[in-house]
Amino acid sequence: MSEIDTVESTVDTEKAKRVNFDPRILVFTCNWCSYAGADLAGTSRLQYPPNARIIRTMCSGRIDPVFVLEALRDGADGVIVTGCHPGDCHYVKGNFRAEKRFHFLKMALKQLGVEEDRVRLAWISAGEGEKFSLLVRDMTDKVRELGPNQLKSSTIRSTSEVRS
Amino acid sequence: MMVEKSALVIGAGIAGIQASLDLANRGIKTYLVEKSPSIGGRMAQLDKTFPTMDCSICILAPKMIECFRHPNIDLLTYSEVREVHGSAGDFTVKVVKKPRYVQADKCVGCGICADHCPVEVPNEFDSGMGIRKAVYLPFPQAVPRVYTVDRDHCLDCGLCQSVCTAKAVDLEQQPVELELHVGGIVVATGFDVYEPFRITSYGYGKYKNVMTAMQLERLLSASGPTGGRIMRPSDGRIPRSIAFLQCVGSRDQRFGYPYCSSICCKYAVKDAVLMKEHRPDSEVYIFYIDLRVFGKGFQEFANRAKKEFGVKFIRSSPGEIREDPETRDLTLWYEDTLTRTVTSLKVDLVVLCTALMPRSDSVELAKILGIDTDKFGFLVPSDSVGQPVDTQVPGIVGCGYCLGPRTGDIPDSVMQAGAAAARVSEIIMARSV
Amino acid sequence: MCHCGINIGGVVNVPEVVEYAKTLPNVVWTEGNLYTCSEAGLSSIRDSIKKHGLNRVIVASCTPRTHEPLFRATCEEAGLNKYLFEMANIREQCSWVHSHEPEEATAKAKGIVRMAVARARWLEPQDEPEVDVSDSAMVIGGGVSGLTAAVTLANQGFKVHLVEKEPQLGGITRRLGKIYPTLQDSSEIIDPLIKTTTSNENIQVYTSATLKDVSGYVGNFKVTLKKGTEDMKLDVGTIVLASGALNYEPPKGSFQYGVLGGVVTQLQLEEMLARGEVAEPERVLMIQCVGSRTGEVWTYELSDMSQSFAARLLSKILGVKKEEGWPYCSKICCMNAIKNAIRIKELWPKAHVDILFSDLRTYKEYEDFYRKARALEVKFIRYIREIPPEITEAPNKKLNVTAYDTLAGVETEFLCDLVVLSTPLCPSKEDVMLARMLKVPLGPDGFFMEAHPKLRPVDCQSDGIFIAGTACGPKDIPESIISAKAAAARASILMANRKLRTEALTADVNTDLCIGCGLCEELCPYGAHKIQNGKSTTIAALCRGCGVCAADCPRHAITMRHYSDRQILAQVEAMMA
Repeated sequence: MSEIDTVESTVDTEKAKRVNFDPRILVFTCNWCSYAGADLAGTSRLQYPPNARIIRTMCSGRIDPVFVLEALRDGADGVIVTGCHPGDCHYVKGNFRAEKRFHFLKMALKQLGVEEDRVRLAWISAGEGEKFSLLVRDMTDKVRELGPNQLKSSTIRSTSEVRS
Repeated sequence: MMVEKSALVIGAGIAGIQASLDLANRGIKTYLVEKSPSIGGRMAQLDKTFPTMDCSICILAPKMIECFRHPNIDLLTYSEVREVHGSAGDFTVKVVKKPRYVQADKCVGCGICADHCPVEVPNEFDSGMGIRKAVYLPFPQAVPRVYTVDRDHCLDCGLCQSVCTAKAVDLEQQPVELELHVGGIVVATGFDVYEPFRITSYGYGKYKNVMTAMQLERLLSASGPTGGRIMRPSDGRIPRSIAFLQCVGSRDQRFGYPYCSSICCKYAVKDAVLMKEHRPDSEVYIFYIDLRVFGKGFQEFANRAKKEFGVKFIRSSPGEIREDPETRDLTLWYEDTLTRTVTSLKVDLVVLCTALMPRSDSVELAKILGIDTDKFGFLVPSDSVGQPVDTQVPGIVGCGYCLGPRTGDIPDSVMQAGAAAARVSEIIMARSV
Repeated sequence: MCHCGINIGGVVNVPEVVEYAKTLPNVVWTEGNLYTCSEAGLSSIRDSIKKHGLNRVIVASCTPRTHEPLFRATCEEAGLNKYLFEMANIREQCSWVHSHEPEEATAKAKGIVRMAVARARWLEPQDEPEVDVSDSAMVIGGGVSGLTAAVTLANQGFKVHLVEKEPQLGGITRRLGKIYPTLQDSSEIIDPLIKTTTSNENIQVYTSATLKDVSGYVGNFKVTLKKGTEDMKLDVGTIVLASGALNYEPPKGSFQYGVLGGVVTQLQLEEMLARGEVAEPERVLMIQCVGSRTGEVWTYELSDMSQSFAARLLSKILGVKKEEGWPYCSKICCMNAIKNAIRIKELWPKAHVDILFSDLRTYKEYEDFYRKARALEVKFIRYIREIPPEITEAPNKKLNVTAYDTLAGVETEFLCDLVVLSTPLCPSKEDVMLARMLKVPLGPDGFFMEAHPKLRPVDCQSDGIFIAGTACGPKDIPESIISAKAAAARASILMANRKLRTEALTADVNTDLCIGCGLCEELCPYGAHKIQNGKSTTIAALCRGCGVCAADCPRHAITMRHYSDRQILAQVEAMMA
């Protein structure tokens, strides 16, 4: 099979999958590691599904669990928080803090009835372009199987409305 | 002795640009002299750089702009160094600004002049693959963005002058002589590409579909003559099979040069991958003697080229290329050294990876500066191991490919530029205290 | 909105995204550029700020990690505070990774632009604090690179603290006998450098010392050294990392290394020659690429090879377990082997020297060195890397080596006195600790990673830290010296200016909301928060902008300048719109 055929058939399979439900994945990245890793996937021309949108902060430790909840409330089907590998955080231990918060976030999500696989924490270094592309691919596939996020509703008031 | 807290950089390719920025950021006033109308050098001609596959002009352009806007850098394009006197800490340099016949402070770079110019000539920037007018901008991202009239081919019709709304064209412009006083000089004049007319068995210059790698880069480049489409020169068809031949005029004791040009294996792998990306079902071959893919990330990139992209590597130096007079297809005759068979291969396009050689005027410039060149015309460091960027004249240093094939690729040029700037800073700072 | 030639424009329908951007609230001006980073593109930005009274600018193009400083500076020139500028990455994170799906890529580009506009609405102008830059530098490593960097800096008047973990200076260069291609003694290079360093009054040398801790930031690094039982604290403005590399030693048994006495590495051969431990050999065999270039897969045309060999080749390739070693090419081993081969030939002209190679990488004008070796009758035999030569014991302490000579087309046996393995330069395990302390990432090859492999080969991503020598990859001596001078040049630029503007990304406490719980003080790794009079106060000079405090503050009393909750949530909301 020629390479063009292989690529086209992969794209066709992907497109077929999407007809029913196209998940929207939000990825929080940190400036020093995971955002750079995402860029590396780009410079290496590693292809992955277009379902993800990336928000950059300086550190994964910046991610308030409220951001994740807000994302789910607004309709994101999956959320990934990414940062530097433990021990490599540019700000010493921001990622440790992110991990601790994530632990409690998962418990809260369980209470809200959100499936466990919808929210993920991953460590991506600046040199791990391939890992980033595989992560997005894997998350997209898993979330597609879960179906659309049921938390989409206006019964929970937006925290940005609460805060002045 | 009064030390001039300023420096001269001759040549504005990536090496010259980096040296100028490192000097200027250090607080040293820098005159950057470039003989062509724009800065950028060879790197601006490339499509992508290995192994990161960054768009070359994309990563170069910000540095070009930084040079242009830097308060400590005086950009003197379309200018040449004519005389140098003095010694380290106090050189007197005569520079001639050649007339562009366009006033730089008035030209807005709109291009109306070129639209109306009736003269078409081969574009040097496109390595002869494209054309330009007699009044031209060498490439879209040129810095400074000022048009130049090539008076050698100009018909003197005056059309450009009449259509220019900024009244920038001045066909009476005269050369301007400048006298500069500098503390140190950096030579960064780069290289020329060897054109293997003498290797008649390869048919370069005779067969339409045999080209140099630099010519291929221009075809690959989005701002090149074909807008990034690879088209065979003979019939405009997209080639389905391409062969790259390594060491054409390098490592050669008969034609060209006996040294290894250090870069060609790497860019061949890069170009081969790009060809595969352009047309995944094409057959791409690299004929090599030793595959010199050393350097950071390079071996891994070559492995990917083979495994993922399906580039075929054949250890052989083809003896002859023959052209089919009707189809203009090419047949290579070679001995595969692994299987020890003599065989032939028919391809649509042949790319010769030729040697990089000194600029034609490098010896002349060296005489003006009073520095030595080797038998090829490259600069000779005073101590190739211990002081690798210094020349025989204190205060004059070199960087980039004008030092010869010791420059492996772009990061080497950038590091040498940094080292050159450090040496000049040392001289200026040490004496000005 | 940038086409970036065909990099973006070839996949994303840029005009369509430009039209879409016009529909977004607060957008008063849109335009497409071929190359926004060109002078034409930048002029366009400046002109439109002035002409349309813009107070927010967004460029949708490549990654902010390359061009954000350029575009920010352009906005400043037009009178717009640089923090009112936002970038949308539609190249590395869109067109380049969805190149076969132009429709989806275009839709995604629209979404990315929408999110950028949403954030830009909430951006505020910021002031950048100025910090002092100390004019002292620290150089880590006292090999040829570290010494060169130290001397180059000292010659410009800066104070240098040179830290070396061994008791003596000189690194690997000291262990070499001769240097290629001049064949001069390595002492001719390293001894003058050591002398210049130790006699320079601007350089303070600490041997048998290691790095214990590094904190702070560019211009103001606080370093703790450990020398013996003593801890020493230093304040430096810049750091040059010149920690070098190790010479890889194959695992015991690989090529009979560590098992048979006559199998040594090139470096061991040099040391043996220096100590006069080598008796006149009849035959020396060198094997290239031992422990490097692992992970290669090369296929061969099997049809014309002899049947038995083809069978053997196949079984070898199929049976090969994951090779020990490193995937990269170490660049210097070919020249190094030839250097030692020439030395042996010059000492003992009658000795046979054979070099088994895969690709002979005598680049630049080193081609002449290769010819010199051939003229001395050193034999070069091209073997196949996937079939490691077999080495067995032979009588009289000799070794029998069997290898496939691809050029002759036969398997050949060699009876040797010495088998010399050319092994790569490789990263040291201690690099992991250094990487953590300095916050310099390690690349996929295990060496330290530069900020950009092409255009910033001696810079690190973290400002103020530079790399020299083999710490970031194999190099020969002139290349190491060049990189060290370049690193020193970069460091000197920072220290010469004595003051530096730092980013305005600091924490801002709303004291009306603050309840003085002390969580921010506890969490901050830089000690930037202090509770005073029941409220949190911030020392801006110490805040690095990580935002951990803001995320954990129970009253949401802390706003991160330029990364506020509002800005982030606006992006989240815009994603789903």
